[in-house]
Amino acid sequence: MLEFEESRHVSLLRRAVTNLMRNGLLLSGTILAVLVVGAGLVGPIIMGGDYELINFSNTHATPLSEGALLGTDHLGRDTAIRLFVAIRVSLAVAVGVTGLALVVGLVIGTVSGFRGGWTDRSLSGVMDFIWGFPLILVAVLFAGGLGEGLLSVILAVGLVNMAAIARVVRGEVLALSEREFIEAARAGGLSNWRIIRKHLLPNILAPALVLASYYVAVAIIAEAALSFIGLGAQPPLPSLGQMVAEGRNFLQLNHWETTVPGLALVLMVLSVSLIGDGLRDVFDPRLRHEAKGLES
Amino acid sequence: MAGPILSVRDLTTVIRTEGIRFEVVRGVSFDLYPNEILGLVGESGCGKTMTALSLIGLIPAPAAQVTEGAVLFGGQDLVAVSERQMREVRGDDISMIFQDPLTSLDPMFTIGHLLTEVIRRHRTISRSEARALALQALKEVELPDPETRMNQYPHQLSGGMRQRVMIAMALMLDPDILIADEPTTALDVTVQAQILDRLVGQQRRRDVSMLLITHDLGVVAAVADRVAVMYSGEIVEQATVEQLFSDPQHPYTQGLLRALPQSRHQRGALHTIPGRVPPPQFTPPGCLFSPRCSQALLRCWEEHPELVSDGRRDLRCFNPQPLTLA
Amino acid sequence: MRYLASRTVYMLIILAISSVAVFYAIRLSGGDATAARLPASATEADRETFREILGLNDPIYQQYFTYMGRLLSGDLGNSLTNNALISKMLVEHGRNSLILGVTAFALVFLIGIPLGILASVRRNTFWDGGIMSMSVAGMAIPNFWLALLSIWLFASVLGWLPSAGCCEPKQLILPALVLAAEGTALTVRMTRSAMLENLDSDWVRTLRAGGLSEARVIGKHVFRNALIPIISLAGLRIGQIVGYALIVEVIFGWPGLGQVLVNAVLRRDYPVAQFFSLVLVVMVVLGNWLADLGYLAANPRLRKV
Repeated sequence: MLEFEESRHVSLLRRAVTNLMRNGLLLSGTILAVLVVGAGLVGPIIMGGDYELINFSNTHATPLSEGALLGTDHLGRDTAIRLFVAIRVSLAVAVGVTGLALVVGLVIGTVSGFRGGWTDRSLSGVMDFIWGFPLILVAVLFAGGLGEGLLSVILAVGLVNMAAIARVVRGEVLALSEREFIEAARAGGLSNWRIIRKHLLPNILAPALVLASYYVAVAIIAEAALSFIGLGAQPPLPSLGQMVAEGRNFLQLNHWETTVPGLALVLMVLSVSLIGDGLRDVFDPRLRHEAKGLES
Repeated sequence: MAGPILSVRDLTTVIRTEGIRFEVVRGVSFDLYPNEILGLVGESGCGKTMTALSLIGLIPAPAAQVTEGAVLFGGQDLVAVSERQMREVRGDDISMIFQDPLTSLDPMFTIGHLLTEVIRRHRTISRSEARALALQALKEVELPDPETRMNQYPHQLSGGMRQRVMIAMALMLDPDILIADEPTTALDVTVQAQILDRLVGQQRRRDVSMLLITHDLGVVAAVADRVAVMYSGEIVEQATVEQLFSDPQHPYTQGLLRALPQSRHQRGALHTIPGRVPPPQFTPPGCLFSPRCSQALLRCWEEHPELVSDGRRDLRCFNPQPLTLA
Repeated sequence: MRYLASRTVYMLIILAISSVAVFYAIRLSGGDATAARLPASATEADRETFREILGLNDPIYQQYFTYMGRLLSGDLGNSLTNNALISKMLVEHGRNSLILGVTAFALVFLIGIPLGILASVRRNTFWDGGIMSMSVAGMAIPNFWLALLSIWLFASVLGWLPSAGCCEPKQLILPALVLAAEGTALTVRMTRSAMLENLDSDWVRTLRAGGLSEARVIGKHVFRNALIPIISLAGLRIGQIVGYALIVEVIFGWPGLGQVLVNAVLRRDYPVAQFFSLVLVVMVVLGNWLADLGYLAANPRLRKV
């Protein structure tokens, strides 16, 4: 039994790698993501340095100038170091929070779809309610309540993405529940937990992952946008949106202060979208159609 | 007998996908005479529907294309005419009924709208005249409460009613030829007989020649005048209904007859033909049926038999044997 | 009719729940409301009196009803920062937002649908590829970044359009386009896939067999069917525009509701924040409801059963 599991694991992995190599979207997205994530994770360690360090003797430096790989901002802070920290912030909010939302959304969606009845009606009612509101507005509402800062962004991203994932998972579970193999499992007297674990989850995981990758992209954009208007990450903690906003005041002087974080942002979103499209192609071509209903 | 109204000669249709090219219709020839019903019979996947769609230029281009042959109708070759000319023919001179009535009507428009749109496409008459014509056609196919139905949407009608609408739509302009592709297959068994009855009744009354495509030999035996049996994209046997049912020659035809439940050719357990229709990209070098044939000779594996006519019957077989009641 | 009634009841329930949620969230966290109004030298007794006057010591559900009652009677209160009448702000900024929002909403469909149709009928050609790449870019480029790029290009470099301000038609162009960008990109994608899906359906073959021209089959029948999913997600488009207006209005200095709300939140002007949060939430809920009505009107399968 164990051996079987083991070998299946290996073959799954091998298949994933083969598919990865064959699928251009996924491959390019992954390479891009590895670069960006690598920069965020490893960058600060290699570069060392202090993202708060102000140096008025070297402000508005352009990239590749002496001692500043990506230039400096209006306070002479090193753009590279700040960029890497900002990528971390963005990843934490987007990937971290959406990851949590994925887990919670999976649980809620599965329970809702599987139990049916009142459980379903109340849970999916709440999910529909949350999902009806745009992410940015929800974040601003939280900011109105909690004050501006990353916390309100995190709560909004978590809540809205969870609702979005739970809705789709519920739909998938409902569709699967009517399929013969689930009915057979029920008729065979398998426990609910076993049906969910052995039959439902493996079938839902792929579409849920694909979906989550789209919501990661949405979250990256939302965090940056909110930080841009001053409701997200608060200084001195750097964030991509905030760096773009600060650089905007010095566009004539040194546009790189805006361009560098802006490009990083676009690359991040692009890599996540490519990974999402690739995953969809690999896992489930059927999702091509469903992706159209998938909105922020 | 008068000359044929439709003459199909060596019709060949090819599908190309992802660099693979295969023939789904292989050199099909047949004639359709005035007022007759010609049954086109075969298992699913044998190319019946592709043959019909090729006749009226509705094959899914650009993947599918008619590469050879001619379809002679009213002094022109339908394979060669422009799409514009073809549209004049479709729905007016040659019309078609499809298999699944549930999905064959645009759900966004009322029955009346759909019918009058086709009428006014081919006749320059007023809206109310077109509606009257449509209503008359619906009455003739015995659609219950036709005035109300005119203002209803397809989803408000049952499958049987929708197929009546399809028949009315196909016949309301008095075409010369009606192609009916499995017109009763998707319906409830109880409704099938009524629909078939309406279809044939209308065909007789309006003097329409009909190409009836079906996998159901029972339907063919009941209504058709002549039968063409198709296998793997080509016609393997063609004869009158009486001849074909009393003395089937091709082993495939015999297999189909044996597989008929409650047939006089069958005793005991239901018969099946071993194997299945090969996918069109797979072509045996000799007779296409040889891999499934119980009486194949060496020659059958090596040489492709031609369709040979003895004046009364067309047959594509090197080794015809009388039907054994196995 | 049942659909209409159930959607309306649902809308009213959502409206009630969300108004309570917005009220509680902002009231509970409003911190010390007296801090903004009273000078730092005020004594605790003064503050207590002030709270009493404002009704801040009442149970919170009572405060909710008092507040809603005041709103319904037209008494919206004043801003804490400049004492401006909130009702006046609503009229002025509401009008500006409406101009921007409606323009953007119209652009989403006026640009998105034709491009989507073009991509679907020219499937797998240069046109399709070009349109779909643009659509992917439209979704991947964050719209505040798009705003900056467009300001840089059209205002700074080319000098064709003003970079900010209100409310000349010329000043409307950039914010409206930026606000519409993502929705347009999604609409293109959706239109294309809905068209393709319907083009494959059996009834298209029936219409062709009836001799109808391709222009008629696609332009009338396939399009009419493809419109259904597009309309069903129009509510999301409205929500999206309301959400992004918060960002776009700030960037382009367009004095609308979004800008007012963001500024109020940043300045902790809680009566303003509370009221305009409520306004935007109501707009989203009403938008969803209107989209439901549109869906009902467009779909015969729901109208008569």
